[in-house]
Parts: sequence; C-alpha cells; structure tokens
Amino acid sequence: MKIKLDAIRACLDGAIPGTIATCSADGTPNMAYLSQVQYVDAGHVALSYQFFNTTRRNILANPHARVAVIEPETGAHYRLSLQYLRTEQEGPLFEKMKAKLAGIASHTGMAGVFRLLGADIYRVLDIERVPGETLPPPPPRANLLAALRASAEQLCLCTDLDSLLAQTLTCLEIHFDIHHAMVLMLDAPNARLYTVASRGYAQSGVGSEIALGDGVIGVAAREKTPIRIGHFAAEYSYTLAIRDNLQRSGLPLQLETEIPLPGLAGSRSQLAVPIRAGQRVLGILYVESPQDLRFGYDDEDALVSLAGGLGAAIQLLQHAPADAAERSASAPPAARPDPAPAAGPVLEVRHYAENDSIFLDGRYLIKGVAGAILWALLNDFAASGRTAFSNRELRLDPRIRLPDISDNLEARLILLGRRLVEHQAPIRIDKTGRGCFELRIERPLALLHTPHGG
Amino acid sequence: MTQALPPLLDDDQAAFICGGVSISAAACRGGGLPSMARATGCRVAADKRSITILLSATASAGLIDDVRRNGAIAVVFSLPADHRTLQFKGSDARVVPLEPGDELLAARYVDAFAGGLEPLGYPTPVIRCVLACPADDLTAISFTPSAAFLQTPGPDAGNALRSGA
Repeated sequence: MKIKLDAIRACLDGAIPGTIATCSADGTPNMAYLSQVQYVDAGHVALSYQFFNTTRRNILANPHARVAVIEPETGAHYRLSLQYLRTEQEGPLFEKMKAKLAGIASHTGMAGVFRLLGADIYRVLDIERVPGETLPPPPPRANLLAALRASAEQLCLCTDLDSLLAQTLTCLEIHFDIHHAMVLMLDAPNARLYTVASRGYAQSGVGSEIALGDGVIGVAAREKTPIRIGHFAAEYSYTLAIRDNLQRSGLPLQLETEIPLPGLAGSRSQLAVPIRAGQRVLGILYVESPQDLRFGYDDEDALVSLAGGLGAAIQLLQHAPADAAERSASAPPAARPDPAPAAGPVLEVRHYAENDSIFLDGRYLIKGVAGAILWALLNDFAASGRTAFSNRELRLDPRIRLPDISDNLEARLILLGRRLVEHQAPIRIDKTGRGCFELRIERPLALLHTPHGG
Repeated sequence: MTQALPPLLDDDQAAFICGGVSISAAACRGGGLPSMARATGCRVAADKRSITILLSATASAGLIDDVRRNGAIAVVFSLPADHRTLQFKGSDARVVPLEPGDELLAARYVDAFAGGLEPLGYPTPVIRCVLACPADDLTAISFTPSAAFLQTPGPDAGNALRSGA
C-alpha cells in the first residue's frame, strides 16, 4: 500500500530531527540535519532554508533529495523521495515556518543562529517505510473527530455571540482537553485584535489588545493562517511582543497595557487559528499549554474546523433578525418604574475624545469603540433617563463611529459588559433580548468630557 | 607504505565520531538520486586513514547498492547535546567484512548514543528501536575520508576542515 503523507505527519513536527541527502552535479553525496519539515498538502512538504550550504547548492543544481524522518512515539522510520520546486520568502507558509523555527531554535539553544531565509517547497515523489523495529503506538489522547462533532452540535444551539464564545471555550475544555484559551476579535482599520473571551487564566484579560503582526496571535491574523509553536519562543511570546512594541513606540500607547493580556507564564505550546467568514478574518481562536509539542497537525486541523464553524456562526448571528424588543427599543422609552434609584456618592465618569477612553473615578475602564458606546449611552441616560437601547440604533449612531460597516458591534458590547463587571462598576448593561439591552445605573453620575487636545 | 599527506582525521575527531553521536550516511545513484541510511556505530583505523561505519543491511539496501556502484559516500556525525557536527566524504567506499567485536561495538554505540539523549528529553526507547539491528543483518562500509567539513549550525557551517588526497 502506498504510504500517504497525511498519515505520517506526526513525523514532521521535529521531535526527532530529520536528515536530508542530496547529490551535487558531479554525483558527490551530501548529508545534513533538518530543523524543520513542514507539511504543505497531501503532495508537498517544505524544508527550512537557513544557510546557503551544500544542501542548498546541490538542490539548485540537482532537484532530487531524500529525507529521513522518524515517528517520535513508535520509532517508525520513513524516507521521502523529494523533488525541489521553488522557494517562498514571504507569505503564510513562510510565516508559519518562521514561527515554528523560532520555537525549535529556542528549544535547542539555537536562538539567534537559526533564521529562516526561505521555505523550500518540494514535491513528494514517494514515501518508503524503512524496515526495522517499532514500539506499539500509545493510546490516542482523544478522538478529535468526535470532539469536533460534539462541539459543532453544541455551538449550533447558541443564539447570541456571548453564549457562542463561552460555549466554544467550554467545548475546548471538555472535548479537547484544552484549558487555556482565548478569543480575540479583529479591529481591521486599527490593525489590532482585542480579547473578548478567555478561559483558564487568573485574569480574564477581556479588553486587552495586541497589534496585527505581533506574536503568534498577531502573525496568524495578519497572514490569515494558523500559527503553531511547539516550544517557547521569546520572539513570538505575545506578552513580550507587546512590551517591545511599547518600548518602540513610547508612552502614547500606555492605555493598551492598562488591561494586561492573559497568558500562561510557562507557555510552551501555542496555536493561533484565524476565525474566518469567507475570506475575511473576524478574529483569532488561541490556545496554549505548558507542555512541549502539545498541539500537532491533527489538533491544528480540528481547531481550524472548529474556528470555521465559529466564524460562520458569528456571521449568522450578526445578521440574525432582532427580537421584537429591539424594534420597540428605538421608540421613546415607556415610563417605567426605576427598581433601584441611583444612590450613594457621585461617580465621576470622564471621557477623553482623543481615544474615547473612559475613566471611572479616575480608574481606567475602556477605550475605543466600546468607550464611545458607553459615553453615548450615558449621555442619553443623562439627557432623558433612557435605559433601553438596541444594537441597530447604535450601529447607525454617528457618535460611535464604528471603524467598519462589518464591525461586530455585539463583540464590542460583550467587551464593554465584561469590563463593567470586572471593574465592579455601578453601571451595567444587561441583555434584554437579541439585539437589545438595558443600561443599569446604581449611583448618580457626573459626566465630564475632555475634548481633543484637552 | 606511506602516503604523501597526513591522515585527514585528528585524534580528537576520531574520538568524536566513535562516540555517542548520531551517524547518517548518504550515497548517490547515477542520475543524481540520493540514497541514505542511519549507521549504528563507527570505528577508525589505527592509522586514521579509513573510517568504517556499521549499518543494518536491510534498512540500508539502497545505499549499499549505490556504494557498490560508484564508491561515493558522505557520512555526517552529530552530537545532539551541543550540535557539534562533522561530515566526511570519500570516493572509495566499499562493503567490507565485519571484524570480530563489531557486534559488541554496535551494541555499545546504541547505549552511548541513547544515554546521551536521555538527559535531553529524547524518547530513548524509540531511538533504541530505530537503531536496533539483528546481528546477522549487521554490515560494514569502509572509506578513506578525502574531505571533511564542519557542519555545526552557524556561520561556519559547511566550511571544509581540510581536503585530503
């Protein structure tokens, strides 16, 4: 039976370094170690090009190569007959390999030595199983297909974004045995991602941000491709990435770190998967683990499929018709008894127009679109005592300036709602139906506005 | 009989390649098709003018075939603990009879290599499996190293140490 490349992907994650044999034009053989063999598709692999060495000279003169790889759990030994096709020096495959190489380099004490110059793409002509002893395979950790199916069935039942995100994180825990995860949404015009949900961290980090292109998460979003690292790599650590970014840009970004990104101190395996709707990236599903090589190709496949379902569901919910309550919410508010009139000391709410940041009694709460939403809500409340609002009117509200027509307003509201709860603010937004919510104010407010340059 | 040039290998290199290092060999078929195999032990002649590697005949069938055709070989030796890597090439490789003690040498090699990998967190039972070779399957290839290259990853990788005859 012909061996398929898909079936031996576990050999390609670098637990045991592979070797490559090539021949020069005059027939002199050469042997070299490989830091990386990347699965590209059922018929192709990519090898990392890091130095202009004999292997490189040989494959440019004679495209035939042979690569030996070993399955790390059973010791099954395979030889791949390859034909060199081309080198990619940018793009998703290159970035995927660059990130993975950074992890390998750091793990093997080669940080600063290994640098990816290119991804050499090879056609796989044949795969040979080398005769020899093997160990019995260990019992499978989980049935990923079953996990995926169970998750898909549960996600289908979610009727709003908040529960969809919470259910996704629950499914990762229960069905995939993944206990550290977060969902970030993309704010494309501002080239940033913001955390809307997380699981398994001391601080939720909801509202924390990362720039497109920074760390595993930022690169996955920019390149629209999953990024997977099996060992700790300083240059892809998002917490370090943020710190470096700040150092580069100086003080004005200070608010970005007011809410620290959640993160696992001893994170060793990381996987960031784009959540897409068609060609558009909506956000990133990110998982991590304190174990080395925790996520393999199959885990990546499973999470890409899960994120595909999540993206479609987010898109569907965004366009779902609102409850009747939304339609009536735009009408003048009915006189309703206030169940708990605002009492206690006055809460000072300060708004800075410059970045729509909001401070409650001098403590930072939120900024950006979510800040603009809260400021509009509080002003309406101050002007007319209004408490019932709808997503639809907010989407059209010129005060809010959504960065993009397709921006996920509901994600911004989830972010705002969570921040108010985590801040223990005497202001809450409570969902009253699909597409509508109520503002709850528990203390008298003093609204203070600082205009641009103020 | 004396040769014009001193042996390519020095004592340190000879000790290195006979230690617990990973050993892989490559050969080449007419038409530029490479073949490859893992070796399971190495010895160096007393005059350091020839290197002999031990292999599984079954797992190395293609490589042995190519060596028999044209004698060209490249063998790379690498110590996982510090990535020190040397490659030797020769053009007179040939299959030679086993010497007494080769079987023991192969067994000791596997112990030394697996023992060095254990503290690095490599799955040593897997390594032992990969290198396991039944006694009646063990074979040997000898060659005179005519070129040596430093291949420790880094800027000097690929530099020729010295070219022999």
